[in-house]
Amino acid sequence: MAAPCRRMAGRSLLQFLSSFSRTSVSNSGFRQFSVCRGSRQAQHVEEIASSPWTLMAAVCLQRLPVISAETNPIEQQFREMMIQMELEKSMLSDHELRLLNDAERIRRMQAGEYDSDEEDDRRDQEIVLAQDLEDSWEQKLKGFQPAARVSDSEGDPSSVQRRLSDSLLLLVERPVGREKLWMLPQTEWQRGETLRETAERALGSLPAASGFKATFLGNTPCGVYKYKLPRAARTESSVGTKVFFFKAVLSDAGAPPATESPESSLLWVTKSELQRYVKPAYLMKVERFLLGF
Amino acid sequence: MNAVFRKLQASATQQAFVFNQALTTCRATPSIQHPVWASVNERQYKSMPTHGIGRWRHLLPKDPPKKKRDRQQMKEIVVETETTYATLNVNVSGYDMTVVEHFSQHIHNLCNRLGIKVLDCYALQTKTTEVWLMQEQGTKMSVDSFLKTHNRVVQLRSLNATMCPIFLEVLLKNQPEGVQLSVQEHTEEDYKTRFKGRPELEGLKAKISH
Repeated sequence: MAAPCRRMAGRSLLQFLSSFSRTSVSNSGFRQFSVCRGSRQAQHVEEIASSPWTLMAAVCLQRLPVISAETNPIEQQFREMMIQMELEKSMLSDHELRLLNDAERIRRMQAGEYDSDEEDDRRDQEIVLAQDLEDSWEQKLKGFQPAARVSDSEGDPSSVQRRLSDSLLLLVERPVGREKLWMLPQTEWQRGETLRETAERALGSLPAASGFKATFLGNTPCGVYKYKLPRAARTESSVGTKVFFFKAVLSDAGAPPATESPESSLLWVTKSELQRYVKPAYLMKVERFLLGF
Repeated sequence: MNAVFRKLQASATQQAFVFNQALTTCRATPSIQHPVWASVNERQYKSMPTHGIGRWRHLLPKDPPKKKRDRQQMKEIVVETETTYATLNVNVSGYDMTVVEHFSQHIHNLCNRLGIKVLDCYALQTKTTEVWLMQEQGTKMSVDSFLKTHNRVVQLRSLNATMCPIFLEVLLKNQPEGVQLSVQEHTEEDYKTRFKGRPELEGLKAKISH
């Protein structure tokens, strides 16, 4: 019984890698693979050796834009033109009608042939004119100061508050082999948990990310990166790693870390800045599922 | 040669006969009005061989007769499976009606393009909030403004699990300012809230039960 299971597992893995499409067939194939492993308790020693790839799950944590995106000159011109056109085509609102009526009434009062008994409007309309209301609203608007579009921590790559009109991606530095590389936060998959739980664990295990509250967008991964170890390090049991990426959206950044420790190497980068930090092969796979620019 | 001549004659007469017949049939069409032999009561065009040549409606399957609009039945809630979600409600709400409606239309179009089936697309009741300003000195309150909250719902039939993160991310990235987005599973209570309450009926029911 173990033999057919192993073959099916190998086949489904190949399917998943070669097709790269997000169809339910490959997904269910992957699910069967994990269930199959768990059920064979007696012969699980053989099962582990059957796949030489270590599985890891990474989280693609994004901070969505906080303010609206900057507009081109063409967009601004079009916007102004549309506002003007809509204003010209629109009908008068209640407030504007009231303004006109008040102005008319004042004009008639000052004309001299005014008899207040002829007026069938209510008395309290004379007390608060619409123009006075408008003036008080203007005063309130002058007192309101909107916050600056560009925050102070613009150039600091490790601050969440930078680039408020773009979406940012979280990067961490991890030692791989002999060097430290920038990558999305990842941990190894353990038996008995789903890959999404592994990704959640990866996010929680970051030292500086204790305050992060993230919402995972789904149970399925959005991308995969396959890394084969260099020939010298390859053994029978480990040919390389496969990293599955899960998408998450930051809902709350929490308090910034009190102590600036040099180990806490977090970066918040936009998609265009990603190529400065990340290796080209990794970048090629990660760019595929990042929307925007 | 006589035989040939006879044959030719025969063929000529045959042709003439056919031609004559054609002539007579042509003559019988109502476009050429000959009152001598086409009387008012005789419907000569129905006997024409080509009468009703363009008829096609009798070939279609019979439609059931259109009945009056039935009472609104609830659409079945789709059950969750291993790879798809149950019926999901994407709720778009905000104060500005044009923005809310345009965003819900955008979601609908996006679903059509991505192949996600849309069950239903409806609007919930508009809720009006009165904002009362408190005076700085004293306890008198004055009316400042009326805020109307508009709600639009797009119901998705069976969202694929692989499609879900992509779809949600596109929605979140395209969300306009001043619009709240929420995605929930559809329940019976959600369906019941769409209907108006009937206070007289409830009063009568309470009377009966007491």
